[in-house]
Amino acid sequence: MNHNSLSLRRMFLALATIFFLLSITGEAIFADTSPIIAVVENVNGTATVVRQGRTISAKIGLDIYQYDTLRTGSDGSMGVIFNDDTSLSLGPGSMLVIDEFVFAPREGKYSIALRMVKGTVAYLSGLISKLAPESAHIETPTSSIGIRGTKFVARVEGE
Amino acid sequence: MRRWRKAFFVWIFLCFLTGCGAHRAKRDLIVLLPDPDGKVGVVTVTTQGGSQILDKPGYAVEVEVEDLNKPPIAPHPVEEKEIADIFGPALSMLPDSGTRFILTILYFEPDTTKLTHESKDLVAEILSTIKSRRSGEVFVVGHTDLVGNEAYNTGLSQRRAIYVRDLLVSSGVKPNTLFVSFYGKARPLVPTLDEVPEPRNRRVEVIVR
Repeated sequence: MNHNSLSLRRMFLALATIFFLLSITGEAIFADTSPIIAVVENVNGTATVVRQGRTISAKIGLDIYQYDTLRTGSDGSMGVIFNDDTSLSLGPGSMLVIDEFVFAPREGKYSIALRMVKGTVAYLSGLISKLAPESAHIETPTSSIGIRGTKFVARVEGE
Repeated sequence: MRRWRKAFFVWIFLCFLTGCGAHRAKRDLIVLLPDPDGKVGVVTVTTQGGSQILDKPGYAVEVEVEDLNKPPIAPHPVEEKEIADIFGPALSMLPDSGTRFILTILYFEPDTTKLTHESKDLVAEILSTIKSRRSGEVFVVGHTDLVGNEAYNTGLSQRRAIYVRDLLVSSGVKPNTLFVSFYGKARPLVPTLDEVPEPRNRRVEVIVR
């Protein structure tokens, strides 16, 4: 009887531990409100991703999140592909901020707002430009570029 | 006199080297290119001073960096070599178009849920795409052109989307993998004035993941 209650107590402790661990990891999963929006496909030379003040060296397969900044050094270039199949690449000495990227077909929500601070960029539209033609924009220090399902390149002198 | 002449030539020579006087204005440059599938889209460039539309491949719009109140400079053709010189490194890193999604657009006869003749043939393709991808997510999005009022068109776009969904379900696609939405006249693919009939806007988009 005594022995039995001891094993029950042990079992209870083990279960409590499991629940505790689950609750921690579960919370960690749900706390991650900014989903992955793009992935690095090509890198050459110096290329980095700045996320919440941290600089991460860009490697093929690196996940990109909303609000990330993509930077290339004077010898660098990089290409990424977004969740909606939009592809984008930067030439040397470039800087681009992802102000907004929303691709939620279940809710019918689409938006791309990028800020090209300086350098050269190549862009090939994905689904968002096809489904919601007015929802893709790149801001530069001098102008706003509206994109309707297409491929284009831009050079931004910067400030 | 001789000396002055010499000084003058030296000055000219120095100007030639440094480009003095001919201060080249800094300009941003935006160039439209053809899509890989040959289609060409549209880019609009807007500054505080105005805007320009780019709709021809190989054409560029320039923007004066030092005077933001100027409108962009009207589109002009750019040589391929210049594009390659400036954008070569960026273009070489541009990933191939992604293949996460396959979009098919089905078109309808005016004011009906009847597919156009060409679009009927596309339904079989959609079905084989769903099968080959074993897709668990298919989005069906209904639209209309700008003829008629909003409420009526919302209803019409809904009927079109449901028609396509039912068509897919009757061909064996699981209903719980289909997500229907509809926007009436709110999201024309080709912008037109109100009340303008436009075949390319009478559509249902089917997106297979």
